[in-house]
Amino acid sequence: MAKRKLARAKKSAEKSQASEQSNGCRKSDRLTQTIGAFPQHIDDANHEDDDEDGYIDEEAEEVQEGDSDDQSDLEAYDDEESAGDEFDGLLDGAISDSEDEDEASDEMSEYDEGSDAGDAVPNFGEDDESQEQEDLAEVIRNSLSDDDDEDEYLSKYSATSEAESQSSLSSDLDDSRIAYYTTGADGKARPIYHDIDPHYSSDDSDIEDTNTIGNVPLSAYDEYPHIGYDINGKRIMRPAAGTALDSLLDSIEVPEGWTGLIDKESGADLNLTKEELELVKKIQLGENAGDVNPYENTIEWFSSKTEVMPLSAAPEPKRRFVPSKHEAKRIMKIVKAIRDGRIVPNKPKIRPEDELPIYDLWADDLQEQQPHVMHIPAPKMAKPTNDESYNPPEEYLPSEEEVRTWNRTDPADREKNYLPQKFSSLRTVPRYEDFVRERFERSLDLYLAPRVRKNKLSIDPDSLLPKLPSPQDLRPFPIKCSVTYRGHKGRVRAVSVDPSGLWLATGGDDATVRIWEVLTGREIWKASVGDDNEAVQSVEWSPARDSGILAASAGEKIFLCLPPIFDDETEVKGQELLAAGWGYAAQHGPAEQVNKEQPCKWTKPSTNLTSQGVDVVIMCRQTVKQIAWHRRGDYFTSVSPEGANMAVLVHQVSKHNTQSPFRKSKGIVQRAQFHPFKPILYVATQRYVRIYDLSTQSLTKALQPGARWLSSFDIHPRGDNVITGSYDKRVTWHDLDLSTKPYRTLRYHSRAVRDVRFHSRLSLFCSASDDGYINVFHGTVYDDLLRNPLLVPLKVLKGHTVVQSLGVLKVEWHPKEAWLFSAGADGTAKLWTS
Amino acid sequence: MRIKKKHQVGAAKNFITRTQAVKKLQLSLADFRRICIFKGIFPRAPRSAKKANKGSTAPTTFYYTKDIQYLLHEPVIQRFRDHKVFARKLSRALGRGDVSDAKRLDENRPRYRLDKIVKERYPTLLDAIRDLDDALSMLFLFAAMPASDKVTARVTEDAENLCNQWMAYVARERLLRKVFVSIKGVYYEADIKGQEVAWLVPFKFPQNVPTDIDFRIMLTFLEFYTTLLQFVLYRLYTDAGIVYPPKIDSARAHGVGGIAAYVMESKREKESLVEISNAEKAITESEMVSRAQTISTVLNKVNDDPGTEGKAEPVAHDKDDEEDEQVTETLDKFTALPNTDTVTSDIIPQPEDTSPEEVIKTLLSPFTFYIGREVPLDIVELTILALGGTVISESVLDGYLHVDTDAVPEAAEVDFDARQREVDVLLRKVTHQVCDRPALASKVPGRIYVQPQWIFDSLNRGRLMPVDEYAIGATLPPHLSPWGDGAGYDPEEVEMADEVKEVEEEEEEEEEEEEEEEVEDQEDEVVEEAVQVDEDEEDEALEHQRELEAEAKGIMYSSTAASKKRKRGDEKPKKSAEQKQAEEEKELRKIMMTNKQKKLYNQMQYGIQKKETRKEALKTKRRKLEKNKQHKKRVL
Repeated sequence: MAKRKLARAKKSAEKSQASEQSNGCRKSDRLTQTIGAFPQHIDDANHEDDDEDGYIDEEAEEVQEGDSDDQSDLEAYDDEESAGDEFDGLLDGAISDSEDEDEASDEMSEYDEGSDAGDAVPNFGEDDESQEQEDLAEVIRNSLSDDDDEDEYLSKYSATSEAESQSSLSSDLDDSRIAYYTTGADGKARPIYHDIDPHYSSDDSDIEDTNTIGNVPLSAYDEYPHIGYDINGKRIMRPAAGTALDSLLDSIEVPEGWTGLIDKESGADLNLTKEELELVKKIQLGENAGDVNPYENTIEWFSSKTEVMPLSAAPEPKRRFVPSKHEAKRIMKIVKAIRDGRIVPNKPKIRPEDELPIYDLWADDLQEQQPHVMHIPAPKMAKPTNDESYNPPEEYLPSEEEVRTWNRTDPADREKNYLPQKFSSLRTVPRYEDFVRERFERSLDLYLAPRVRKNKLSIDPDSLLPKLPSPQDLRPFPIKCSVTYRGHKGRVRAVSVDPSGLWLATGGDDATVRIWEVLTGREIWKASVGDDNEAVQSVEWSPARDSGILAASAGEKIFLCLPPIFDDETEVKGQELLAAGWGYAAQHGPAEQVNKEQPCKWTKPSTNLTSQGVDVVIMCRQTVKQIAWHRRGDYFTSVSPEGANMAVLVHQVSKHNTQSPFRKSKGIVQRAQFHPFKPILYVATQRYVRIYDLSTQSLTKALQPGARWLSSFDIHPRGDNVITGSYDKRVTWHDLDLSTKPYRTLRYHSRAVRDVRFHSRLSLFCSASDDGYINVFHGTVYDDLLRNPLLVPLKVLKGHTVVQSLGVLKVEWHPKEAWLFSAGADGTAKLWTS
Repeated sequence: MRIKKKHQVGAAKNFITRTQAVKKLQLSLADFRRICIFKGIFPRAPRSAKKANKGSTAPTTFYYTKDIQYLLHEPVIQRFRDHKVFARKLSRALGRGDVSDAKRLDENRPRYRLDKIVKERYPTLLDAIRDLDDALSMLFLFAAMPASDKVTARVTEDAENLCNQWMAYVARERLLRKVFVSIKGVYYEADIKGQEVAWLVPFKFPQNVPTDIDFRIMLTFLEFYTTLLQFVLYRLYTDAGIVYPPKIDSARAHGVGGIAAYVMESKREKESLVEISNAEKAITESEMVSRAQTISTVLNKVNDDPGTEGKAEPVAHDKDDEEDEQVTETLDKFTALPNTDTVTSDIIPQPEDTSPEEVIKTLLSPFTFYIGREVPLDIVELTILALGGTVISESVLDGYLHVDTDAVPEAAEVDFDARQREVDVLLRKVTHQVCDRPALASKVPGRIYVQPQWIFDSLNRGRLMPVDEYAIGATLPPHLSPWGDGAGYDPEEVEMADEVKEVEEEEEEEEEEEEEEEVEDQEDEVVEEAVQVDEDEEDEALEHQRELEAEAKGIMYSSTAASKKRKRGDEKPKKSAEQKQAEEEKELRKIMMTNKQKKLYNQMQYGIQKKETRKEALKTKRRKLEKNKQHKKRVL
């Protein structure tokens, strides 16, 4: 309400303003300006305003105060009335509404000060309520007279003013709006209207009317003296822009509220008062910019005070005067409980532990049950041993060295957590320092250590040993060395017994083939066959009993000899056999030669060799490592590992013919052997033993012993079992009916296995190794197909010495007896007999 | 067929990690630990940790899922949660300074009992007894612990009470089977209802309490063990016909022998002036009570009530007299037996005495022991009482006879002369004096002086050891563990073997002499031998014949040969050859073992070998020591 009044007061003040730029200014400031310009009028207006409303309110005072405040300023700027004052007004427009009130209050206080010194403005004396108590009547009188004053003033002003005067509020007609006519630019009369005086109802003084030039950019008026038009269509003159000197002066003596900014809308300098700056600051900080008192007094709407006019006039309820039935019920319950003894008041305090009754927990006498499978009882503490005694036998006491090692080891790694000590008597025994800790650790173990059920084997370790028949029951087998054949220089690499079992042929690194009498160990015959001292790799008697042919290989040559140890008949037959081939070669030779180049050449030996008993020499391309006869004694195979596809050759003695059965190489061939009675050839490469059917010329089976490098193999006399020996210390037994994988893999040699051998009649076999031992086994193969072969280790023959990490190189069974011949790297061959 | 998801069955389902378990139970880790301790739930080591941990190999603690599931509806857990709330309320009340509120809250704090858990864990009494080892050891430790801020005096007091009750039971029922004084403490073993219960008691010194030990864990265990032992003791006492808990029942005490007698007795018990009658039937419940009482309480009683004590004396004296009679009776019994034996015949088998247990129970019953004040009474007393002996302690007698009148003014009224006379009567019965001093100034004639180890060794051996080895100042024979060496070494066996060897050596020497004589005779015998050779040949032919026959019957050669060898095996070298052969055969058979068997066999052999080497090392050390000793002797 009060504000409204003020606004109206300002309005009226505005009316009195002569200049065109009446708008865009803030009320109070505008007021002051106008006052400055027309002090007397304003005074009048104030009078009018106050009196008109019949209110003497603070705003009115404020206005007055503003007057007094600005008095000096006004005088200072009197000269440049229009310019400077306009600026002020524009600047003010930049500040929001809220500031008004702020300012108002500020000004109020300022006024109070001013009023103290207020005698400077004597005019105010009459009006100021605070200064002089005026009669209400007087005020009314004044207000009555004001109406007239206003009219008077308006008419006067409009007449005198150069610009158009404002039309009166009371005029209703359109014509009446025209104040007067002037000649326009076209020379015609142009009506000049009264200023629009809005009705009170259309009062838009709340709406800021700062910018009346619209959104037209100022640049559009660059050429004109004005910057736009106000609501009445009058020009708004450009505020005077200071000259360079002015601006310099401005910058030097900074006027109050100077900011250095230019108002965007009015183009004038933007000055801010102290209060305004404060306000800006507050807004920047996000504080409450309004005039809000955060600490207002509370109003106690509901208080202990009995109000004359209470909020509720209901009468006091009955329940306030009657004892509660519910409470009575509850109390009775308690009383009853006390009477019954359920509640004992002031019961004497007992320790809670004591009041817990102890009773027979196991009164039900359950039968003991098997604990749950998943329950693992905690292991009991280990029982103390002799060395924990306070007085142990002296041998338990640790030596100094033991004490030192005990001290050095980490407590967690110690086998026992104490050192045995001896005390002479019980009274000298001190406390045990770690007692609490040990019990604590036991507690930790009990609840923290993961438990696992460990089934402790309480068996006799010997029960793990397989049940085997005693070797004593499997006799005969070789157990001792009865004859040693000495004579070779260097290793004995090959050994062979003639079918009659009387003569032993050996070959060695000294490039000789020797024949010994088996029983006596006497050397009977000797032939140095190897040229260039090439070692004799293999020596094999022909299985044909009546021929007496001995095949030996040294280097790339195979020698067929007829040692002069048999009777004439045998010798003649042998010579015939060997000689027949020459004839055959003569007859069929050319045809063969046409076919292909021969893998071998059958030649007649030199005279030197002939004199030694060699009848035929077969020249191969690579070093021949092994020879194996066919059971009839007509064919034999030779193996030369480097020979690629020519590694295995089959030689026919009767025709002096050599065939190479394989077109492609299958790897490095180690051994080759004929089946004991079938036309089958077994060929061992590094990893496999391949079985070829010679009649169909096809591969029937490939055994996989699982060894890295086979050294040897042998075929059971029945032909359906094979043993292999390998350089990686393994001996395997293959049952050909079962699988290509071994039936048993045995590992007992500590060095590479050099040779394995079946006995041709007895169920014996043996393996020889570089560790110098020969292991003799019993191996029964049953006719019943469901029964697996029975293998029984019988004896370890120890006798050969290991020379340059080579032990026993070759073994051979006696054809009839359970005797074993072995050739060792120590330059001897041995006969092992039962 | 549906695709099987991984980690849905088997180990992944059966095992649960600790974190999962804690989350599932909605407990704090500390509460989880407590409930695990109470319920005896322990982590497991699954066969494949990877499978249980759903493919991860990170080290984890696993619990059996069903254990945890079982915990879900455990009432005690609810009490834990209540306690959490209570603690919050209490702290709030205290924070506000609301003392009365705090007091009320504290009075009504949630409590839980563990009896149901005990019953769950041990469905039968025997189960419980079987698991008493740890409980007893823990209680005995706490009974010896100094009270501190972590371990309150009440805890130690309770533990001590329970321990005393236990010892009283063991002594009364004479169940003690083994005692072993080690450097860590004293191990006892008792035979409770056929179960062997062993426990360790620290020496009576203030314990060294390390600072880095979490006593909360120990106290949680103690809480459970206390409950367990209470219930077990209740049952054992009731089975033995004694009231549990043994209480101070003044009326009953009056009925039996007056309150003073009770006080006297308890005092004797506690301060070990005792002489518990060896006629155990006469042991009253009040006596049991007295055993269970702690020294402090009894002393307090005595001090509080000087009048009763004064009155008590004659009554006590009467009681003593009664006991005396009982003692004499029993003594008569025991002395009577040998008398009759000597008179009538040498062999009168006593059926009760035949079993070693019975022997142990009455091993010391004819004797009265006077125990010097330097001897640790707690060990000796329990052992003697459990073997039926009677105990009189010097230290208690001192307290009885020499009361400092300045300290206790009431003592001035006591008639010390009467007391002295009474004690003199008592001392007349002493047969043994247990003494642990280098020398004694004066010896009472008629008494046998022994060191305490004599009692322990006698119990462990089950017979009275020769006294001279344990005399005062004598170097004691080694105190061996009744549980043996643990690794197969028996020092006594070595001793025996040595003795045998010595004897043999002597014999051999004699034989050598004889042989020398024989050599001279041999020349004459040559002719005879020739005759014998013929006989041998005949024997061989016969044997061959027998072999053939056996073969025809299908008897293995080896068996016949072995039997033959056994017949023959008089000569030593042949025996060794046989052994050699057996060993060789064993080696051969090892060839045919599968890899798995071989591994197992080798492991076993490793263990055996280790034991053997240790045994050998100890033996050699022993021999060395003995040689040194002999050498020293010779030098001297």
